[in-house]
Amino acid sequence: MNKCALNRDDWAAYLSGDLEEGERRTMAEHLEKCPDCRAETDETRRVLEKADAVKAEIREAVASVNWEALPAMIADRVLTNAGQPEKALWAGWLRAWAFPLRMKPVLAGLAAGLVVGAVAMYFALKVPGPRSGQDTGYYASGDFLDRAELTMARRNTLDYLEKSQYVLLDVFESAGEGAGGPAAFSSEQARDLLSRKKYLNAQLERFQMAKAKAICDQIEMLFLELAQISGDLPAAELGRIRGFVEERQLLLKINLVKKELQSEI
Amino acid sequence: MDEVKDAQIKNEPDEMASLLERIQDGDREAFMTIIRLYQQKVFVMAYSILRNREDALDAVQETFLRLYQKAGLYKPGNSFQGWLLQMAKNISIDSYRKHQKKRQEWETSKPLEEIPVAAEDRASDSTSSDLRSAFSRGVEKLAERQKMVFVMRHYNELQFNEISEAMRISVGTAKSLHFKAVRNLRKWLTPDLGMQR
Repeated sequence: MNKCALNRDDWAAYLSGDLEEGERRTMAEHLEKCPDCRAETDETRRVLEKADAVKAEIREAVASVNWEALPAMIADRVLTNAGQPEKALWAGWLRAWAFPLRMKPVLAGLAAGLVVGAVAMYFALKVPGPRSGQDTGYYASGDFLDRAELTMARRNTLDYLEKSQYVLLDVFESAGEGAGGPAAFSSEQARDLLSRKKYLNAQLERFQMAKAKAICDQIEMLFLELAQISGDLPAAELGRIRGFVEERQLLLKINLVKKELQSEI
Repeated sequence: MDEVKDAQIKNEPDEMASLLERIQDGDREAFMTIIRLYQQKVFVMAYSILRNREDALDAVQETFLRLYQKAGLYKPGNSFQGWLLQMAKNISIDSYRKHQKKRQEWETSKPLEEIPVAAEDRASDSTSSDLRSAFSRGVEKLAERQKMVFVMRHYNELQFNEISEAMRISVGTAKSLHFKAVRNLRKWLTPDLGMQR
């Protein structure tokens, strides 16, 4: 093992001729006196000599190229293929961007999955119906809209009549149990039906549902009275209402109008 | 005469800047002048890394294509040769990696009996040409920066200041990497060279 304090870094530099003149002379003088350093330098020299063999190979390769013709050949190819420098830069950027995906199928697959997923989510979450300021491409004729509204009016009327029927039947059942019995009827239900009737009026008038309107109006009068009663229903009052319903055959008429409406829907 | 004129251009930074400006305008003559000046240096750099004439010529063409595309990015204060050789080095390393990957794919796709075995390689290591290939393999094994400094210093015969420009490192770092490269080569090649430590 060489224990000489001389800077070993300098051996390679000395052998490849990279030392300053003063340093080179110092090294040469030291190598003359120091056999260990000389032996190690010889080893390094023998290694570097192998580089000369490779250099000879490179020189052969250099000699085999027609350097006179090469510039014109490269210029022709580059100018033909590259176009303008800016355009080529764009192409280079695009290539650099696309290159990793091309080289990594997993990344390309992930990217494709993201795109497909995003498109699927767009269609899945897309809110149907018109949006403000946007043409949805959906058209409906006035006639079609009128027919739809008429059907809605019939359904609402039918629903109103059914609920009214139940309320009236409740009233009759209470009356059947005798005066002073438990009041099954709640004036709350009458008030609810009265408010619905207000909404229904506009539809009945608009579509000239005269028959349905007439019966609904009679029911409304009845409910106006019932809504004013609170607490237990007095027997006299109950008998009067029942008489009114029976006299006008109100329940029968409700059934007839209901059937008519059901057949039209 | 052309060579004398070219040498004058090479040593004159303003001339070089003017040539690069003309290249940006698509001037064929200016482009050819630069190719004439640097084609051999670029080839040696590429060949040192790729060790194949055709691959090296492809790398030369790719380097000048890149120069044509990026002529506007050159900063006049910097060394043009360093900038160009840096491009050549990067292109050659990319090409080397691509070829290496292809070789690996080829070897893994071949049946086992068709793959050359190490024993056969070692059997022929006794000749001087195989000592040369052992040396090449040693250079190949060096860490990338050590290898580049060694290649530039010994094959391209660049000075350390030129190497530092091409690799964007200090001269001191270039010298240190060179020393480490030589030390490693000595260590690995001592058995092949028949030397005893």
